[in-house]
Amino acid sequence: MEGKVKVLLSKLGLDVHNRGVITVAKELRDAGMEVIYIGNSLPKEIIETAIQEDVDVVGVSSLGGAHLTLGGLLIEQAKQKGLKDRMIFLIGGVFSPADAVRLQQIGFDGVVSPGAAREEIASSIREMVSSRIVR
Amino acid sequence: MAERTKTTKEILEEKLAGRERIPLYSPKALDKLRQEFDQWKNTVVREEDQKNWQVTPHTILGSDIPREMLYTPLSNPDFDYTQDLGNSGQQPFTRGIHANMYRGREFTMRQLTGFGAPEDTNQRIKFMLAHGATGINIIFDLPTIQMYDSDEPISTGQVGMSGVAIDSVDDMDLLFKDIPLDKVTASLVTHYPSNTAILFPMYLVLAERRGIPWDKLAGSVQNDITMEEVVRSGPEYIPPQDCFRTQCDNIEFIRQNVPRWNFITYNGYNLREFGTSGITEMSVAVANAIGTVEEMLRRGHDVDWVAERLAFFWSPANDFFEEVARVRAVRRLWYKIMRYRFNAKSTRSLWMRCHVQTSGISLIRQEPLNNIIRAAYHALSAVLGGVQSLHVDSYDEAYSVPTEQAALLSLRTQQIIQAETGVTEVVDPLGGSFYVEALTNDIETRILDEVDEIEKMGGYVATIEQGWLHRKITEYFYHERSNIEQGDIRVVGYNIHKAPGELPPIDVFRYPEGVEQKQKARLATLRERRDNEKVNSALTALREACKRKENVVPYTTECARAGCSEGEMFKVFKQAYGLWRPPTLW
Repeated sequence: MEGKVKVLLSKLGLDVHNRGVITVAKELRDAGMEVIYIGNSLPKEIIETAIQEDVDVVGVSSLGGAHLTLGGLLIEQAKQKGLKDRMIFLIGGVFSPADAVRLQQIGFDGVVSPGAAREEIASSIREMVSSRIVR
Repeated sequence: MAERTKTTKEILEEKLAGRERIPLYSPKALDKLRQEFDQWKNTVVREEDQKNWQVTPHTILGSDIPREMLYTPLSNPDFDYTQDLGNSGQQPFTRGIHANMYRGREFTMRQLTGFGAPEDTNQRIKFMLAHGATGINIIFDLPTIQMYDSDEPISTGQVGMSGVAIDSVDDMDLLFKDIPLDKVTASLVTHYPSNTAILFPMYLVLAERRGIPWDKLAGSVQNDITMEEVVRSGPEYIPPQDCFRTQCDNIEFIRQNVPRWNFITYNGYNLREFGTSGITEMSVAVANAIGTVEEMLRRGHDVDWVAERLAFFWSPANDFFEEVARVRAVRRLWYKIMRYRFNAKSTRSLWMRCHVQTSGISLIRQEPLNNIIRAAYHALSAVLGGVQSLHVDSYDEAYSVPTEQAALLSLRTQQIIQAETGVTEVVDPLGGSFYVEALTNDIETRILDEVDEIEKMGGYVATIEQGWLHRKITEYFYHERSNIEQGDIRVVGYNIHKAPGELPPIDVFRYPEGVEQKQKARLATLRERRDNEKVNSALTALREACKRKENVVPYTTECARAGCSEGEMFKVFKQAYGLWRPPTLW
């Protein structure tokens, strides 16, 4: 694969809990990826930045319960802009097992739960990105 | 603070230097013990244990304080009972702020509650009270915490989530329906100075509407700059200096007008959960409290007038004895600060009163029932430390807001500690333990050293502006994460004793439907029915008060009376103060 994997990370909406997403941001950067973290943003801003920065991966963090509502809006807008086939969409945070399944059904490529290991996250991102590029 | 040359630590050292110590142990007894101890260590103790005499336990949110294998009077040879401990209810209050502690007053069982629309939370409050809860503790939804109205685009999809949606006094009324405001004590978890200045007046105006005088109200708000400027991820921040002034405005107004209300709860809890040791949790809260008292003195108030109502909020986590010792240590330190640095006279001013919530970040998603045990130990350590009130986290919180059943189990955990274990019969049961006393001393020193570091940087607000605290937090949690990944911090069911296979099914909380629409409709009705001329003039008066740097709370109260929404008031703050960009965290 050519160049660095480019990742956009964001807190979804007004969620106040950012320990997880900052940890992931640092870890992905340490793993050699280019990471852009834009803090608290709504789906529309996230999609706009993703297009503008032409990223490979969009990761959003939600621990405040709005994963289905705002996560759903994010995927909807990604589809409208034709990004779903170009970019990987990941969501991390606090979800019930049923909601984790639901998030995959609505179109997230990966769902990251509390306790996910550093290597797990980085390597699954690499795999997803390379399989998408090959295809 | 620039003119102050001496730090709190220097002042205490100076004032306490001449005190005569009367050690409990005789030199003769210590000599004999020393001989026997050395002999025992050399002959009985295995070589490898001698080599590893000191170990440092690595625990979630731990402070990495080394521990010896065995503690004896030699660990604390000049132990002076009256000076270091005193009896309970006596200076320096190490053993507790009341002589009879839980015999006289049980710890308040104050479970955090909040989700959905105000009427949804009202039902849960009533459920908890009906099952024996003795206090109310309200958490607000994300838009309310971040001070946006339910009908603003930024609130989309988040109304009533992880807390209750409150936009105006009308919502406050629904939240406290059938609850006598003059009979209960209510903790309103208004984390930030800004949202305290907006939401607490709504509570006051509700009391007015119900004909209840403000001096009959009892409870607490949080009102902590740490929460607004450091422990928070949000789109818009006002500058730290304005935030700190608002913190002090709240204190001043509430002290003057609502005498039984605790106007600030220094929140170590969320700071620690975000990522700090138990030492930093306390040093930051203490430094903030010192800064606040100084500012109130500067405003011309008497120290006791302020200090009698200060309260703290701690997070008991996994290292059991550290947690017990921490509460005792900070209680003694706070006494010394109030007495020797600020010359407080009233006994109440010398008390470090605190609420605790068991640590949430210590709860693990894998095998969630294990969290019941973790939280019970956290709660027990807090009770042995002599805290005033408690919230026990629920085992399902690594999945969602607790179900009714899980919330009840948390309340039952407290009730079992209180009614069944007998631990509340004896005050400070671990007092005098060689280990706990040595640890208490060590922790007190470490807290004061960090307070000193903060003061030398120019005081607490400066450490926020300079990003020192932000950096300290990220370093801590990044390091902690590595320790967990490498197995230095052991977590049952996660990195040791892992259960094979899938996660077990778990019954999780579901948010009520339609809350956003309901709140939007309510706001529309409010905006239609209220006297918009009155609203505008109240908001204009608030804007001018902000610009004059006058106490803003009389003006937000007038806004609440006029029917202003939370978002309308926050807009005024933002316009008047401008926005601040917090330091980058990574």
